[in-house]
Amino acid sequence: MTSTHYLVLSAALFMIGVFGVVTRRNIVIIFMSIELMLNAVNINLIAFSLQWGNSLGQVFTIFVIAVAAAEAAVGLGIILALYRNKETINIDEMNVMKW
Amino acid sequence: MLTLLIAVPALGALALLLVPNRGGERDAVVRWLALGISLVVFALALLLWARFDPATAAYQFVERVPWIPRFGISYAVGVDGISLLLVVLTAFLTPIALLSSWESVERSVSAFSLFVLLLEAAMIGVFVATDLFLFYVFWDAMLIPMYFLIGIWGYDQRVYAAVKFMLYTMAGSVLMLVAILGLAYLHSVTTGSYSFDLEQMLTLSLAPRTQFWFFLAFTVAFAIKVPLFPFHTWLPDAHVQAPTAGSVILAGVLLKMGTYGLVRFAFPLFPVAAAYFAPSLALLAVIGIVYGALVAMVQPDMKKLVAYSSVSHLGFVVLGICAMNIQGMQGAVYQMLAHGVTTGGLFLVVGMLSDRRHTRLIADYGGLKAVAPRLTAAFLIITLASIGLPGLNGFVGEFLILFGAFRWAPGFVVVAGLGVILSAVYMLWMVQRVYYGPVAHEENATLPDLRPREWAALAPLVALAIVMGVLPNIFLSPSEPAVRAVVERLDAVRMERAAVRGPEPIALSREP
Amino acid sequence: MISPSFNAIVPMLCATAGALVVMLAESWRARGERMPLGVLGGIALSAAGIALALLWDQQASSFGVIVADNFGIFVSLVVVVAGLVSIAFSSQVLDRDGIPRGEYYALLLFAIVGMMMMATANDLLVVFIGLEVMSVAVYVLTGIRRDDPRGVEGAFKYFLLGAFASAFLLYGVAFTFGLTGTTRLDGIGQFLAARSMSSSPMVLLAMGLLLVGFAFKISAVPFHMWTPDAYEGAPAVVTGFMSTGVKAAAFAAFTRVFLSAFEPFSADWAPLVWYLAIATMVLGTVVGVAQHNLKRMLAYSSIAHGGYLLVGLVAANQVGKEAILFYLAAYAVTNLAAFGAIALLGTADRANDTLQDYRGLWQSRPMVAGVLTVALLSLGGLPPTAGFIGKWYIFSAAVSAGYYGLAIAGVLTSVISVFFYLRVVVMMYMTEPAGTIAPPVVSRAALATLAVTAAIILYLGVLPTALLDLAAASIDTIF
Repeated sequence: MTSTHYLVLSAALFMIGVFGVVTRRNIVIIFMSIELMLNAVNINLIAFSLQWGNSLGQVFTIFVIAVAAAEAAVGLGIILALYRNKETINIDEMNVMKW
Repeated sequence: MLTLLIAVPALGALALLLVPNRGGERDAVVRWLALGISLVVFALALLLWARFDPATAAYQFVERVPWIPRFGISYAVGVDGISLLLVVLTAFLTPIALLSSWESVERSVSAFSLFVLLLEAAMIGVFVATDLFLFYVFWDAMLIPMYFLIGIWGYDQRVYAAVKFMLYTMAGSVLMLVAILGLAYLHSVTTGSYSFDLEQMLTLSLAPRTQFWFFLAFTVAFAIKVPLFPFHTWLPDAHVQAPTAGSVILAGVLLKMGTYGLVRFAFPLFPVAAAYFAPSLALLAVIGIVYGALVAMVQPDMKKLVAYSSVSHLGFVVLGICAMNIQGMQGAVYQMLAHGVTTGGLFLVVGMLSDRRHTRLIADYGGLKAVAPRLTAAFLIITLASIGLPGLNGFVGEFLILFGAFRWAPGFVVVAGLGVILSAVYMLWMVQRVYYGPVAHEENATLPDLRPREWAALAPLVALAIVMGVLPNIFLSPSEPAVRAVVERLDAVRMERAAVRGPEPIALSREP
Repeated sequence: MISPSFNAIVPMLCATAGALVVMLAESWRARGERMPLGVLGGIALSAAGIALALLWDQQASSFGVIVADNFGIFVSLVVVVAGLVSIAFSSQVLDRDGIPRGEYYALLLFAIVGMMMMATANDLLVVFIGLEVMSVAVYVLTGIRRDDPRGVEGAFKYFLLGAFASAFLLYGVAFTFGLTGTTRLDGIGQFLAARSMSSSPMVLLAMGLLLVGFAFKISAVPFHMWTPDAYEGAPAVVTGFMSTGVKAAAFAAFTRVFLSAFEPFSADWAPLVWYLAIATMVLGTVVGVAQHNLKRMLAYSSIAHGGYLLVGLVAANQVGKEAILFYLAAYAVTNLAAFGAIALLGTADRANDTLQDYRGLWQSRPMVAGVLTVALLSLGGLPPTAGFIGKWYIFSAAVSAGYYGLAIAGVLTSVISVFFYLRVVVMMYMTEPAGTIAPPVVSRAALATLAVTAAIILYLGVLPTALLDLAAASIDTIF
């Protein structure tokens, strides 16, 4: 296991996340895809931390996890408010405003 | 002194806001106050002229205060013979414009007077600025009051005309902005520091390629303002829709800024490019002369007719500038003044007629001579001046321009001469249809003649048209040294360029 | 005595303390009791502002990751002023729209903390934390009217794309860390300069990902999709705040990361930013022409202004950096005035933010119309306003760096933008009032604030020297 393996894994996860964000229609799944992207970054950070032999990457990862949690709380709150207003979580119906 | 000329109208305009005038109960106070301020400005301008030394081409009454020192920008003003006359013209036409709207502007008199005075301040600023940045600031700032004047107090299509006016002029001037910035940058490359000062710029030695681009950028801005064919399409709309005061100022002063810019900036700054482009410009000018005249001839609307006649007349001015000799240039400067007076007067009379009858169509008039003889007389004198009858002011300018142009390129003169004849045709034809013949419409039978207020507005213009025609030297002599200096500079640089090839152009762009 | 290494974070501590006090006060508030929370927030921000002013020229640095250099202080001050002005407008709007005061002020202050953190960060980790503190607060502020479908939808789109962009940014940070072994900006810069790696794919990947992340935050085209919706959906006060504060903070971080850490690779990223700038200016103005909602129109205008700021970044010379700072300040004041005017014109049952709502405003509310006009002229870059000086500064940076094409694109798009600003002016001055809308009552304090912003816009347009020198002094100390 070299750091390359981790990088490939993380890149794959990140891509899956991006793909999910772009193609899925359910807001909650899109949201989960974003979380997946963040976790891909975490793997990346830890792999690099290992490679450089310093703990900076791990510290960073912990911060990312904390921030992601805060973001998730706010995000779910917004989604809930959205659902109360629109009774749907399909992104195609988020069209009160158009360009 | 010059600062005072800018500050008095600007601060006066703000002082008008202090007069509590909600609902218009103090309109009269505001009107008189505004007129008083503009008369003070005119008196100051006359004082300036009296103290002006006509023997030198250098800038006089120079004031220079650092403004944005990091960029070598200063508040630098000064007048030479060319700008002096235009400043006086501006100060002269503004009170007349205010008088012309005494009754026809009824709503928001405070705001109207405010914008007219702000416009005056900006126009004077354009003519006296000797720092390119300052010039540009005034040049653009002037658009705002004019935009509101057309847009709020104009006729039916006013919004369209106002927006078109604004966008056209801006589109041209922003390119000039880039060129100005380029000049300042090249100045910093050659001398190590930024500068926007005109005299510093004149010392720059620019590669021909650079000159071409910068000249084009400047000239497009000025050509739109002049307006030179084919950039003239905003003018009929703006003129026709503007209130009388707006038309008078627009035709009298604003158009001159384009030609002034050519004489002051585009030609002296880029002599090589000027020489290269002069024939093309002259060609456009001549096309404009004939085209303007032909289109004017078929206009049913008097205001539009006068507007197109401006296109034609300003073509002469550009032709004179392109001749790049002393007669042509002097003629151009003189014609700017003459055109300001006569076209201002024409718009004034048309405005008076349309105030009376609420129509500007020639077909709605006829036989006014019997009804309003004094109005007819004044109009006739101004018309004849505009045509260029010897003894009136239009003649001197046109003659000098044609003379100068003949020395340079006789071919243009032949066609331009056609324009002179055509202008006689369309103007006199209009006079005939409006003032002579039987009174075709009953409403016209009872039209009042000139009222005292209208006399006050028209008489100075008529008098000036005659004075300028009989004693042209009063107006020619102040500008002569300045014009001579411009012509000599153009000649000298052309000689020099002919002798040695210039340095390689500085690489301008590094875009991907 | 506190250790001097805390100095650089004192402004943030002030604002944080203010936010916490507001939150506590709110939780102890009896039902129906009114508390001067806005004043509290104002005091906290003023304290932060004073602290920032005291730090000027001190080169204070906390723990190596927060550097209160003049650049950071300048941007932080812009943010603080944006916050103060927003608070001044808020009081009236909050009552009218039924927005919970405690949450609102606390979030506003937290957002400002995040912005200051971004502006003074010298470490990618801190940039990220500042970004998230700011973003999370602003997401909520956008959707603070929970029963307004537009607000919630705007907040949602903003949140989704914001989180998406953060992931890109983080991925870029991770690669940068992997490449250099550090997240300190100065360390990265030294590492990259020393190695002088000629555009290895890893560097390009890291830079590209960071660029995408920042481009989202500054709403550069093609990463601008969230902007119109978020701006239109949010209450106008919040829009004014986020169009100035968020933009200033994001640009500060963007500038710092790319002009200090990735400076050695400017030949690689400058062409990309060049295209971003052109696309942003063009799309922002062209689409802006088609808008009928004033907030949405200003959203596109704000996109276009981001493009002008990018021009300064591409130029990357001394003038360009100064221009960015001056432009940020000028733009902040202008946009605050514009959105302030829009916010004050709304009523409880109508936002009054479509073009038609401005018919004949000049006659019913001359003062508000006047301020809005000044702000619009400034956005259009007409003299004598702050916007003109800002544009002129940006374009002279472009010209002196040899980017004539950018300058020409910039000035031409600014002419197009004048067209749509004028549409509002036409509505206000040149059409008759529709008469259907009762002119809202505008409080004196809010009117006075509006007048002050308009006065500042004109002052900066006529006598910009003081601020220009300040901007120049901010640049002298870094990069």
